[in-house]
This record gives sequence, structure tokens and C-alpha cells, in this order.
Amino acid sequence: MQTPEIKSSECEEPKYGGMDRRTFLKTLAAAGIAATGGAAFMLPGTNLMVMPNSKGYLVVDMAKCMGCVTCMMTCSMVHEGESSLSLSRIQIQQSSFQNFPNDIHMAICHQCEDAPCVNACPVEADHVDVLFGNVRSIDPDRCIGCTQCIDACPWLPKRLQFNPKTKKVQKCDLCANTPYLDEKGGPGGTQSCVKVCPTNAIAYVEKMPKQDDPYAYNVNLRGEGWTHIGMSDEDYKLEG
Amino acid sequence: MEESKNGFAGNILHLNLTTLDYEVIPTKKYEEWGGGNGLGTALFWDYCQDKTITDGRNAENVIVIATSPLNGTSTPSAGGRCELVGVGCGHYPIGWFTRSNIGGRFSSHMKFAGWDAVVISGKAPYPVWVEVENGKVVYHDAGSLWGENARKTQLRILSALDKGNNGWGWQPLPGKKDETSYTTQKPAVLCIGPAGEKQSTHAALVHDAGSTSAQGGFAAVFGAKNLKAISFLGTGSIDIHDPKKLVSARFRVKERYGVKVDDPTTDMQSWWGWLSRPGTLSFAGTVSDHYRIQACAGCIMGCRTRFDVGYGNETKCQATSWYAHFALHYYKGDKKKMSEVALKLADYCNDIGINTYTFAKSVHWLERLWHKGLLGKGKTIHTDLNFDELGSEKFGFEFVDAFAYRKDIGEFFADGFVQGAIKAGLESEWKEGHLDYCYWGVPSHGYDARAEVEWGYASILTDRDVNSHDFNAMFWAVTLATMRGLPYQIEAHEIAKLITDKLKPYVDTTNAINYADDNIYSDDVMNLTRWYIHYNRFWKNTALFCDLRWADLFDSSNPGNIGATADPEVGEQVYWNAVTGEGISFVDGLSRGHRIFVLQNAIWALQGRHRDMVYMADYIYDKKAEHSEFPFFMWPTKDENGTWRYTDLMHRKLDRAQFDDFKTRFYKAEGLDPETGWPTSETLDKLGLGFVKEELKQHGKLA
Repeated sequence: MQTPEIKSSECEEPKYGGMDRRTFLKTLAAAGIAATGGAAFMLPGTNLMVMPNSKGYLVVDMAKCMGCVTCMMTCSMVHEGESSLSLSRIQIQQSSFQNFPNDIHMAICHQCEDAPCVNACPVEADHVDVLFGNVRSIDPDRCIGCTQCIDACPWLPKRLQFNPKTKKVQKCDLCANTPYLDEKGGPGGTQSCVKVCPTNAIAYVEKMPKQDDPYAYNVNLRGEGWTHIGMSDEDYKLEG
Repeated sequence: MEESKNGFAGNILHLNLTTLDYEVIPTKKYEEWGGGNGLGTALFWDYCQDKTITDGRNAENVIVIATSPLNGTSTPSAGGRCELVGVGCGHYPIGWFTRSNIGGRFSSHMKFAGWDAVVISGKAPYPVWVEVENGKVVYHDAGSLWGENARKTQLRILSALDKGNNGWGWQPLPGKKDETSYTTQKPAVLCIGPAGEKQSTHAALVHDAGSTSAQGGFAAVFGAKNLKAISFLGTGSIDIHDPKKLVSARFRVKERYGVKVDDPTTDMQSWWGWLSRPGTLSFAGTVSDHYRIQACAGCIMGCRTRFDVGYGNETKCQATSWYAHFALHYYKGDKKKMSEVALKLADYCNDIGINTYTFAKSVHWLERLWHKGLLGKGKTIHTDLNFDELGSEKFGFEFVDAFAYRKDIGEFFADGFVQGAIKAGLESEWKEGHLDYCYWGVPSHGYDARAEVEWGYASILTDRDVNSHDFNAMFWAVTLATMRGLPYQIEAHEIAKLITDKLKPYVDTTNAINYADDNIYSDDVMNLTRWYIHYNRFWKNTALFCDLRWADLFDSSNPGNIGATADPEVGEQVYWNAVTGEGISFVDGLSRGHRIFVLQNAIWALQGRHRDMVYMADYIYDKKAEHSEFPFFMWPTKDENGTWRYTDLMHRKLDRAQFDDFKTRFYKAEGLDPETGWPTSETLDKLGLGFVKEELKQHGKLA
């Protein structure tokens, strides 16, 4: 297996660049010409790529997370049938030597409004899934493992994962495609990380968090009971 | 052939420190032992050539760090525990083959790296640390780390292994075959500080800020083997037999037993049952309102804290309490200062790698010796420490340093406090109970074996303070309710019924939970003790369910107050079967615990154990308990009229002859020879342990 090369990011291109091959494919897809199920298209007469917003988003409360990584192991299990941290679509990073609240970082996919990973995909594998609430999703049958979508993700750590076994990239689909989940997933259904989190530090919301605010995905999810067990309900500004 | 999906990583790593080489042992041969304690004991039997050694610091000793199939999975409060076994040190009169346990991320990363256990044999020619990244195993010279404390050791290793940001924020690691795999995680390091290097029995193995393995003295064993640290980082997966079932059971246990953290009616101190216990376990308060609950991998509710103040991270339990009383007195009741000093000191003990458990019962005794003129400059036991300053922050750090660097009284008591008392001609201080070290030369856990008898029985019938809070959940629930003037959520007769329902078929009467004086040597209590040991040996120490969450024998968060243990939907066996595919019953697990216990009795026999040694310290039989850090010991009792109530059992002593008879019945029930306590040939055959017979016979220990 060749190590995926770390390429210069596709983000270096203008966000709404000219009609290149990818944009052309996406436009075709929007017109129903390509069988991708994708819903993104180029606005006629402009260079703007338009894709419908996801109907759901994950938000987190980094001050509430215990660092148990149960969400990660569950995510991997419902998607892959195996427990793994590396194959999890949500990444919890922690350092026990750091002070609260900077000791834990929760990295979730933002289901971006103008998802750079969708834009970057050369084969329409990373697409807007109209069957599952417009979640940004990767079709494993189409993915060629080029990792350009990972490069394009504007967040660190990157919110997409390279699976060394399948040699393809995967990302959070809000549990739309979860063969090992015994209930309906995806927008409107169950999100495993939300359901399993012992402290309810992850939530599913329908309203899109502000896209120009790097702190918008970290919210206060602490209910009244939180202070009853001796904890603070103060807001902590942490970049998601 | 398709690899079996049963939760095992597939390989065991054998580190031969003498040759600085390693071998890979397929796990398949050992899968029947489950993991943790059972797997470790079986590996010890096969890899330790001389099982007669009585001090773990002997180079012939072998220690095993073992995971279970459940580690690295979402099994509630079982995903992150890790077991250590081997010959320990610090016990009296013999350093038994013993066990310890550690939480955090270490076991899960060992599994993700592809390993079920590490067998450590021999002694390195110079200090080393071992790096494991997936299948890559590298010995490093630890010369520059020798002398560093545990915190700095970990930070330096983390720095050395940090490959920098590759543009993705995911570190590339060597994967299977020629694959590259990626992780966002930090390596999990287990290491010793200076006390371990100096082979003090008071040393602790430390992982992250506050996960420690201290009982058993394995940090001193690491030091004796010139092993400073082991680091694991893995990108692999744990294959699960039935992931759907595991996920569903985990969802269900949250619904039924999870702490309702956002519910305003949730109360920090009104829970009855372990699974539903919320929040931090600091016994010295908190030093800031800004902290998080922190948890081991897969836990259903964390018990530790990380603060914003720069100290106290992940400290809990008696690490936070052993000095608090002295600080409160010294600072004249200033609780804020007490919290600050207690947590700073707890933090320092973790940083430097010291076992605070041995201090919990020894500092009071040292204070007594000081006031009696037996401890001080030029006294029976010499010290330059000024115990008139006991309780001050400065004294606390000086005291810990003495043990961390094995100087002053830290040198005098390096092999243990009982050993030191005898060396100083002060054995009577121990025998009379002033030094409250009641079983195998280790401290009472504070619950007092004369009141909480099952704790004392299981400790002396095994190898160390059993440190298992299964029935102790009653003590905490009743104690907190009594202290706060709250009604008992579960009355004594009901709790007896709830618990004994969980103990079938070992126990078929509520009488097993009757802690009254006239019942504590009964067959019912004897069978409860057997259940307790078997549960520990398999479900807790082999499957590695966390002691502070399991067993859940009753639980006020669930209708009918029924605990999660053995529950058909969310009990221990549900997760075990979902991961391994074995399809065993809860009781099958207990039977496995019995088998492991008998194998350990074979090792103890080789080390020199005989039933005549199996007694608690004299004061347990000769003196009534008179005081404790707790105001009372409330336990369920039933009187002659059959009326149940919670009764204070503080003022009680045990009867030597009746315990001796209890022991005889216990040995018979376990298939051990009542004359010697050794395993019988018949029992060994019956349990499939015939392979140990020849070695026992060679040493004249086959009953």
C-alpha cells in the first residue's frame, strides 16, 4: 500500500473557482446525468457551487465531555462492526496533563454549508446525500482513496479518515449508513455518538451553526442537573 | 481461515529484558483464561520458572500486564481497565503472587496496537523503556530518564514519539503489512518514578496524570528489572462478535442506569448502587468550580476530575484524603486550604510515583510514635522530619519525598511498615492494632474487617487487601444517608433480598447478608465470600469490569431497585457474550473465577503458604474496633425475632476459633485441602488444572 501523499490543499484554489472537471461533474450530477445521487450544482451564469444545507448537525459541549471515547468506539462499531479509535468519525483528543477546559478537544464533522470536501472530490464519491437529509457523505463504491477531500477539510484534525484496510476515505454521515446499528440512523434518526454519550455532551440539531464562527459548534449542553452534581455551567469559548 | 471475532487482539508480547529481545505468543492458546487475572496467572505459570520466590524484586520473577476482550470496547466501565499479576513485594510475611489494576487508556491502546498482554521476564542490563506502536517494538536506553518523576517521564516520552503535525493532525503509524494507518491519539505510557527505581515497596506505577497501580509493589518490580516505562499506541480495531448487540446493550444501560446528569433532581450523594453514582470522587473537596468529570475508556460515568488550577488532575479516593485530616487540623479548620493542600499532595504523589494507600493507615501511627518519643532524632526510629509540622503543606511534601527518594523513614520502611515495626522492636504496635495493617502486612482499607467481614475474609483468603466494593456499596449508601439525615431508600430487609437474588446459586437465603455477630461465620456468609472471590477473579479482574461501578447488586435508579449485575439485558455476561460470542451465563463466569482462584492457590502453595498462616493480625481477634475515620459502620442485621435493621458494628472483634472453622468449611467448598489449604489432586483434575500437579508434587505441595 502506498502511503497517501500529503498534498497541497485544494483549499488553496479559489473557493468558487472556474468550471474545472469536478465542478463540471457536480453540475452534471445536479442535472441527474451522473448517477451519484449528489445534489450540488453550479449556479447558472456564475462560478458558485451550490449545495443544499444538511438537515442536521452535531454540536458538542467540550466542557461536559469525560474523555471516555465511548462515542468513538461506538461510531466505529455501528459503521464498521469493529471497535476502533482510528476509524471513528468523531475524534476526542485529550491530555491529562493539561488544565480544564483545554485538556479535551472534540472534533466533529461540521457538515459544512459549502463543504470543501465535497468540492474537492474528483469522482463524486463525496457528495450531498439527498436520501439522508443532505448529509455530506462518501460513497465507498466510488471513492478512489486519493485523500483530496481530507486535504480540503479546513479543520484540524481533519474530520475525514483514511481507512487503511479499505484504502478509502470515510466521514461522518450522521449514522445514515450504519449496518451495525439496530435502529434507523441519519438526519431524523439516531446518531450513535449522541445516544451513547454518558454525559450528553453531543447533540443533534437541525439549525445550522454559524459558518463564519469557529466556536459555533461548541455549545453549552449542560442542563440544570449539572450544577446539582457540583459542576459549572459557565460558557467556555473553545474552537470546534 | 477467517480470524475469529472474539475481542482478542490475537498476540501476546513477551519482553525478555535480560536479552533485550522479544517474542510474539499467539493468544489462541490462552483464550480459555479470558483475559486479565486469569490470562496473567496462566502466563505466569508457564513463564516463571521458579515459583518459590517470595519477593517480586527477584530477577526470576515474571510479571504480566493483561487486557481482556472487553478492553477497547464500549462495554460500560470495562473498556479501560488493565490487570497486572506476578510476585509482588511489601506483603508480610511473604511477597505473594498477587495482582493490581489500573485504568485510563493503557489497556485499550495495548489492544488497538494488537496485543492482549505483555509478559515481562528477566532484568535489563541497563535502564530501558519500551516503545510499542502497533507491531513495532523498540527498546530504548532510559539512562536519561532514570531519576525523572512519572509526569516528566511521560511528557518526555510523548515528546519523543510525537511525529509532528503532518498537515492532517493525524499521526501516521506503521500498520499491518505495508499499510500506513493514522491516529489523533497520544501514546499511553505506564512508568515508574524514583521510588520504583529505588525498589521501594511504596512506589506506584503511573499512567497519565492519575491512573496508578500501587498495591502489590509492581513499581518496585519494574525498578528491579531496570524497566522505566512501556508505551503503547495503536491504530487497529477490536473485532466484535455481535456489534449490534453490544451497541444496543450500551444504549440500554444508559437508559436504565446512567446518571441523569441534566436532571435537576440528580443528587451527588443520594445514589444507592454503583452504576448510577455521579461525579467526582475527591474526598477532600474541590479546589475550583471549574473542572470536568474524567473517565477511563468506555466508562459509563467518570469518577475523577481535571481542574483549571494546574494541580489535582485525575486524583481521587484516598489519594485525596490521606493527608486531608492533618491539613484540616494544622490549618485550624480552613477547609479551602485543606482541599488545596490535600489535592496538591495527591497530585505530587501521582507525579512522583508513590502509593498513597500505604500512608492512609501509617501516618497516624507515625504521629503516635512521635508523641511517644519512639520516632525522632536519635530515637528508636530516627527521622529528621519534624512531625510537629504534620499537616502543613511543607511537611507533606517532605514526607512524600522521604518515601519517593528512599531516605530518612522512607529508607527505614522501604520494605513495608509491618517489616519496619518488627525491625524496630515495635511488633506489639502492630499486633495491638496501633498500626492498622490487618492482612498480609498491608493496611486496612478503612472499612474494618471486624465490621465488614467479607472484605477481611476475602483479603486474607487471597493475597492482599481485596479492594473490591461489591457489598461495600451498602456501607456507603447507608453511611451517607445516615450522615445527611436522609431516609433509607432501601430498607435492610429489602437490600438483603435484592443482593441475595444476585448471588444464586451460591446463596439461597437472605441470611447471607445478615452481618449480626451470631451469623458472620455461617455457611451462608462463607458462600457469600466464595461468590465474592469468584466474582472478583473473573468478572472484575479477568473480564475487567471496574470495581467502582460493578458489581451493581442493587440500584435505586432502576424500578424495584434492582441492580445491573447479572441482568439479562445489561448484566456483565451480556457484554462478554456480545464481544466474544461465547454464550456463557453469569454463573459460568463465576465458575471460571473459581478455576483461576485454585490455580493461584497452587502458586501460593509453592511460595510457602499453609492454612496455619492464613490469619489476620492479632488485634482483629483480640481487640474491638473502637474508632475509625468513619463515625460508624452501619450494616444490615437480623435479630432473633427476624427483624432487619441497619446496625452500627463498630465495636466488634472476630473470634479466632470460629474463623478457623469458617476457613475449614471454605477450603472444603473450594476443593482445597482443609488440612493445608493446598489444591487437591481431585480438584485440579476436575477443573482442568492437571498440568500443575507435577510441579506441586515435586515440591511436596500436592494435597
